[in-house]
Amino acid sequence: MRMLRDVLWNLFKGRATVMYPEERGSPPDNFRGRLGFNRDECIGCGLCHRVCPASAIEMENDGRGARPVFHIERCIYCYLCIEVCPTKAIKPGKEYAVVTSRKSDLVVR
Amino acid sequence: MGVYIPVGPQHPIHPEAILLKLKVEGEQVVDADVDSSFVHRGIEKALEHKTWLQGLYLVERVCGICNVAHSTCYTLNVENLLGVEAPTRAQYLRLVVEELARIHSHMLWLGLLAHLIGFQSLFMLVFRDREKVLDLMEELTGNRITTAYNVVGGVRRDIDPALEHRVRSTLEELRGRVKRYRKLIEEDPSVRARTVNVGILERSEAEELHAVGPVARASGIKYDVRADDPYLVHDEVPFNVVTLETCDAWGRAMVRVEEVLESIDMIMYSLDHIPSGPIRKRVPPVFKVPPGEGIARVEAPRGELFHYAKSDGSERPYRYRMRTPTLANLAALVYMLRRGDRAVYVADVPVIFGSIDPCICCTARVFVLDERGSRVLNLEDLGRSRGR
Amino acid sequence: MSCLALLFEWLDRKFVAKLQNRVGPKYTGPFGMLQPLADLVKLLSKEDIIPEGTKTFLFNICPVAAVLLLFIANSFVPTVHVEGVLKAEGDLIIILVIITLYLLTIYMAGSAAPSRYSLMGAARAAVMLLGFELPLMFSSLSVGFAAGGFELSKIVAKQFERPFIAGPHLIGFAIFLIAAQAELEKIPFDIPEAETEIVSGWLVELSSWRLAFFRFSKDLELVLLSGLATALYLGGPIGPVIPGLEVLLYPLYFLAKSISVLFLLSLLSTLFARIRLDQFIRLCWRYLIPLTLAYFLAMMWVV
Repeated sequence: MRMLRDVLWNLFKGRATVMYPEERGSPPDNFRGRLGFNRDECIGCGLCHRVCPASAIEMENDGRGARPVFHIERCIYCYLCIEVCPTKAIKPGKEYAVVTSRKSDLVVR
Repeated sequence: MGVYIPVGPQHPIHPEAILLKLKVEGEQVVDADVDSSFVHRGIEKALEHKTWLQGLYLVERVCGICNVAHSTCYTLNVENLLGVEAPTRAQYLRLVVEELARIHSHMLWLGLLAHLIGFQSLFMLVFRDREKVLDLMEELTGNRITTAYNVVGGVRRDIDPALEHRVRSTLEELRGRVKRYRKLIEEDPSVRARTVNVGILERSEAEELHAVGPVARASGIKYDVRADDPYLVHDEVPFNVVTLETCDAWGRAMVRVEEVLESIDMIMYSLDHIPSGPIRKRVPPVFKVPPGEGIARVEAPRGELFHYAKSDGSERPYRYRMRTPTLANLAALVYMLRRGDRAVYVADVPVIFGSIDPCICCTARVFVLDERGSRVLNLEDLGRSRGR
Repeated sequence: MSCLALLFEWLDRKFVAKLQNRVGPKYTGPFGMLQPLADLVKLLSKEDIIPEGTKTFLFNICPVAAVLLLFIANSFVPTVHVEGVLKAEGDLIIILVIITLYLLTIYMAGSAAPSRYSLMGAARAAVMLLGFELPLMFSSLSVGFAAGGFELSKIVAKQFERPFIAGPHLIGFAIFLIAAQAELEKIPFDIPEAETEIVSGWLVELSSWRLAFFRFSKDLELVLLSGLATALYLGGPIGPVIPGLEVLLYPLYFLAKSISVLFLLSLLSTLFARIRLDQFIRLCWRYLIPLTLAYFLAMMWVV
């Protein structure tokens, strides 16, 4: 019967549920979401490719040299690449809903 | 006589794949066996192909709920081998995150227990309150569950005063809620009816079966790695090792709830006494570890977690081995299910099973002991049975 | 009546959700009111599976029988007037018999399937019957004795001045609620279904229209029991009326009263953990049945 107070109290409280697709809370500043990449700042050192624990970063030659390609569907959001990047060309992002029906949406170049 | 009832590998009792083979006569369980070999993922083998730093992120994914314990254990182990020690501030922060993880793990468990005994309201309310801890985790570490907070040489993010304030106020609020749940578990007749004297594990039996964590502590064994072998700044932060002598599922619930309160106190104390200074010693992303062997022990929410590493001097581990708390408690689980001196009802099975806080994906990793055939299945056998 | 059943399920879900700080059904229809209907339609469209080794005849006949039985029983309950749609000599007893028969269909449907879970669920349902049937019967029959007849219309008519709940029948009402909770297999007593123990008990092998029918029959039972409690203790659909407006007001009174009973039942289901079968039987025989008998004898003595 101990529960009686709690459940009755809930009658007068708002819902705890977040009605997800309609209301989206914004993640905190520290949040590790989908990363971004600025190609111009990249020097093609390949460090990110070497440290990535999930092998989500492939190196691709675009004429100027080897540049990383990020496969978000493989990304585990550890941000190790951002940490090692010497020119800060890889940018943190806050987007967390990365579901899509086109695989090409999940490739960051 | 008796009917064989399979509980699992797909069963509402637990989201993970484990098979309890119960022999049932009427409503009573007369025999039980356990098979936890359904989710072998080959993580230890995969670790041998990752560099030491990459391995950290794989180790974190051994178990979602105790990922902080796993990554703490791994970093401590590697730091030991490297001869690096994390700065004091980093150690305090590690402790804060570890205790936050303990709170959310124990609250998850409490909700699960409520669900297992059919107490849907308690389940919902506990999960509602647990969400706040996850939000704190998200703000502090950048993610709700897979925190990626620890790193070899320290931690990755510092705590700022505004966040510290939020942690304090949330935990203060949570303390009130948890005290309320403690009272509920203590006094509610239906919860007591389902848990008191269910899943008895006497002290001597718990010692014999090497139970760890809250299971052992509810049987009166005062054993906690944090107190007996302080690995972070546990010797500076005061806390009590909660033990109870009730030896039953109710005791395990109470131990966990009390531990949540202890953890809240520990976090408060750590935030008060955290020294300023660097949070991380720079270690290059790819590094070689001097040859040798090392172990590390951590008190995960479920009990003692043990890591072993062997290095041959390269940038990858030669061998890595983990023993998770659930594996240590499985023997106790089977014993509790089939002890002959007390009636175990079918309705008690979820409670007993839940009371060890099983985490199967941690447990089924490298080999499977086939108890009846006394045959050790190794990786190769598993591969063969998959291929069939 | 079918609409009422679906409405009651929706109310039950919504109210419990509110008590647990959740939202409940939301998307289908206004405030999710059509969710129970949508569930039914979806179940009806599902693949029909009959497990190997099933006693097919029983398996097919039970869901139909369950729904039919409850429709008949519901017709006796006075909703818009002092009398129900159907009326018979001693219809209270007919309803009680039907409630027992309904449990029989559950038992048979559970034991017709070859699964061990459903067999255990069926056995549990049968054992539970031993516990809650006497309280259910005697608490209703006492009202009959107090009213001097076992026709629901007579019982309702007797409460024109004062509903039975005001007075000694409060105990009867409490007993009736607890027994109804067990009959409905709602939470503290959902032992035959017990999701975490025996998956879904007797329901486990039912699929497609069989499951839909049984779920629908549960909703009908919800209406039946709250309607019955209303008729027995709360004075059925009667209440203070402006002359001439009975036709309009009586159904409203009935709805208000039976929904309050429904809310009490839902509230009860949020307060406890599921108890064990042996504990349930002990609870019934140690406390509930002696209390019921004492109440019953007291009523007999008063009459």
